[in-house]
Amino acid sequence: MRMVLIIVTLLPISMGFFMSHRYEVLILTVPEVTQDEMKQLETELDKLIVAEKGSVISFERWGKYKLTYPIRHNDYGVYFLIRFEAPQAITKQVDELFKIRLNNFVVRHVVTALEGESLEYQRPKSLEEAPESRDMDSFLKKNKMQGLLSSVDKKEAAPGQDVEMATVSEEESVESESASAE
Amino acid sequence: MTKKIKLKISARLVKKRTRRASSSTAKQCRFCGTPAFVADIDYKNAGFLRGFLTERGKILPSRISGNCNLHQRALSRQVRKSRCMALLPYIAQYN
Repeated sequence: MRMVLIIVTLLPISMGFFMSHRYEVLILTVPEVTQDEMKQLETELDKLIVAEKGSVISFERWGKYKLTYPIRHNDYGVYFLIRFEAPQAITKQVDELFKIRLNNFVVRHVVTALEGESLEYQRPKSLEEAPESRDMDSFLKKNKMQGLLSSVDKKEAAPGQDVEMATVSEEESVESESASAE
Repeated sequence: MTKKIKLKISARLVKKRTRRASSSTAKQCRFCGTPAFVADIDYKNAGFLRGFLTERGKILPSRISGNCNLHQRALSRQVRKSRCMALLPYIAQYN
């Protein structure tokens, strides 16, 4: 009787461990990630999940982003979002995969359990998607403010003018001095 | 027993009373009001979470944002997660 009770109470817990859950991994890689490395990432993760009798729901490349703080001396990074269905035991293996085996180009990763049915989400726009870059020169060109554009040329021109002015003032001063001497 | 009546009112008490009277309606949690917004509290949705940070990148206190305790905790947890992935800053830097 006791044994049966113990089994009945433990069953939901053990079932929870072996039952498949839905997870998502957000991965941050270095900006100069190649196509081969991308494929390696996809295949290695796929292997892991299939070995545990799970399935990949989606594999997305978010694109290039400007990071809010530099990581490994990189100001930019590429994000990937992967969603999959697998038993709970897989999360440790996924951590190991990114921390040890793909360490050379995966910088950060976070594994989270998906709650609810909907797979919709919102994300900030990547640099590739953004229609207007926040570059100052392109903004000026678009709004026809060409006069402000050549900030570099002006800087070069400005000292030259100063020199001319200086020479003139020197000559004047010399003249005035000579005049005073006379 | 007769109840003691306070004859003298201190300046501090007057200030306190006026402050309470001025803010007649209490702030309400925007997530409790519209449950559709709750789905926006997500570490991936950095643009939305940025509204709950100060200029320097600190998390706004619920005293100012008006969130209830439940949603403030959920929000701060997601902000911290987002910071880890470099979608939000730990500290915004001077330019």
